[in-house]
Amino acid sequence: MSDTASSAPKPITSRFDPRFEPTLYAHVGVPGSHTLSYYRSHGGYEAASKALGLEPKAVVDEVKASGLRGRGGAGFPTGVKWSFMPPVDGRQRFIVCNADESEPGSFKDRYLLEDDPHQLIEGMLIAGWAIQATIGVVYVRGEYYHAYGRLAAAIDEARAAGILGRGVLGSEFDFDLILHRGAGAYICGEETALMNSFEGLRANPRLKPPFPAQAGVYGLPSTINNVESFCAAVHIVARGAAWHAAMGTDDSKGMKLYQVSGPVARPGVYEVPMGATFRELIMELAGGPSEPAKAIIPGGSSTPLLPWSDATLDLPMDYGTMAKHRSMLGTGGVIVIPERKCIVDAYYNVVRFYAHESCGKCTPCREGIATWLPKMYQKLLAGQGTHEDLALMEDMVKHMRGTAFCPLADACAMPVQASFEHFRHEYEHLVDQGESLYPRRREWAA
Amino acid sequence: MSSRQPLPTVTPFFADKQERLSEILARYPEYGRRSALMPLLWEVQRAERHVSEARVEEIAEILGLHATEVKGVMSFYGTYHEHPVGRYHLQVCRTLSCSLAGADTLADFLEDELDLVNGETDPEGRFSLQYVECLGSCGTAPVLQVNDTYFERVSRSRCRALLDAMRRDTLPEPTLERGGDNEPNAPDQEGGAA
Repeated sequence: MSDTASSAPKPITSRFDPRFEPTLYAHVGVPGSHTLSYYRSHGGYEAASKALGLEPKAVVDEVKASGLRGRGGAGFPTGVKWSFMPPVDGRQRFIVCNADESEPGSFKDRYLLEDDPHQLIEGMLIAGWAIQATIGVVYVRGEYYHAYGRLAAAIDEARAAGILGRGVLGSEFDFDLILHRGAGAYICGEETALMNSFEGLRANPRLKPPFPAQAGVYGLPSTINNVESFCAAVHIVARGAAWHAAMGTDDSKGMKLYQVSGPVARPGVYEVPMGATFRELIMELAGGPSEPAKAIIPGGSSTPLLPWSDATLDLPMDYGTMAKHRSMLGTGGVIVIPERKCIVDAYYNVVRFYAHESCGKCTPCREGIATWLPKMYQKLLAGQGTHEDLALMEDMVKHMRGTAFCPLADACAMPVQASFEHFRHEYEHLVDQGESLYPRRREWAA
Repeated sequence: MSSRQPLPTVTPFFADKQERLSEILARYPEYGRRSALMPLLWEVQRAERHVSEARVEEIAEILGLHATEVKGVMSFYGTYHEHPVGRYHLQVCRTLSCSLAGADTLADFLEDELDLVNGETDPEGRFSLQYVECLGSCGTAPVLQVNDTYFERVSRSRCRALLDAMRRDTLPEPTLERGGDNEPNAPDQEGGAA
């Protein structure tokens, strides 16, 4: 176990720091990387063997000390979550992987699942041992069919090699995985909705408490983490908590898979230490915007946008900095919005997404997001909006904050509020002139 | 025979697939039998391109549920179909990153080319069109999902070539694109589903 004492060397916060090397994403895109033989020839399952030689609590403590925070978006400390599991009492316990990646702007987990499925299996095996769960559930979104196939094949390989099943890797520990395919519902990314979906119920979120550790899958003790979090745990066990904690900022440790989409030269996934700046990600790695930009969505469409500026570009991408600027790190799914895109149109697109994905359970979300907000945007974009409509929209989103059962309502309300805050003039222009400041573009690559 | 019409009989989907059925049911613990609901819906839909009332009733019976419970779950999700989709079910993502890359124009192009609107299947049962939300292909936008396969960075010319191929009843291999850190130097021509 380590701490990062003040005498420790300067933390790694740039990919260009010579001490940084890619781990999570090192094998994505390499032909054959999804096979067990490839994985084993690159040190695969050594971390799991190491973990199985430690006390489960020691593994939890290592992950706690690493500073890893959940990579699915909420950023809850992973080791702390693992420690919430009740004492072993003979009931079945579950470790669940949320592979229902569907936040717009996020696509990192798909490549991990497709090209490095054994990394996830190893991470789940480590977590399963740490919390003493003998069954793991991988819930993969329905559209990720290629990933599903790769995972299914990897699980078969692992079973045949004694990595899953009875007495895994020659230990006394039994562990197996259930692979489950979703069917196209964003709400399943909410942990309790995912569990209902897995159980064959409609995917409405459940009331918390009880939290999954008390009553998760089938009402039994469960812990759920994101794909990337499990993969990070592999490297934490392999290299030690201190290695992980040497990267990042005070409240955000380790490496992170950031994604860049929108009009940039080289969109895609980049593995970068936490605390790297937007400038490093967007300008240096992704090659910069291919046309003038006006905003950055930092971590998937539910995270409030930040205006494009030198000051924004110099912000470190970590949990605390994003919170300080009233946004969120989310999934690290950065979307660059070009100058010529009407912000009202862009947020109509975002609202339409959440309207489509609202499960209809609670009134603020069902009536506010699934019904009224898209209609208000349609009215505005048709050039028929009034200033009273703008006031009503702002009032509506204010009342959606924190009033619904699950975070989906906030996921829509927060970015809409931010779009008003930073780009009110575009909304007002539409009202005053009856047309958008930036007419809709009909561009598409030839 | 009397003049009474015999009730139409439908051969149960799983009648000759007992082994597959057992395999699906065995994935889940005894107390979690209902978890097999989604995989059973998938199994039927994959073969029949929709899940009919008769199949809903059959699945309900297998799991000891009421048909309305199965229907309730099925209707919650966007990718189970009550009516048959085409042999080529085209799913266009129009969410923000794809929209910024021209997905709305792509959607209009498909509507014109196929003479279909969102949710329709053509009379020959070849093509159907569905607008969907974010497919997680934002870095390789725009994306067109054909049945279970992603086609990424779909330009106008790529889209035309894809439609031409499907009209000849061939589906080209997808180019698995990555972008970012792991763009292979040459496009990976490996096939789709494993």
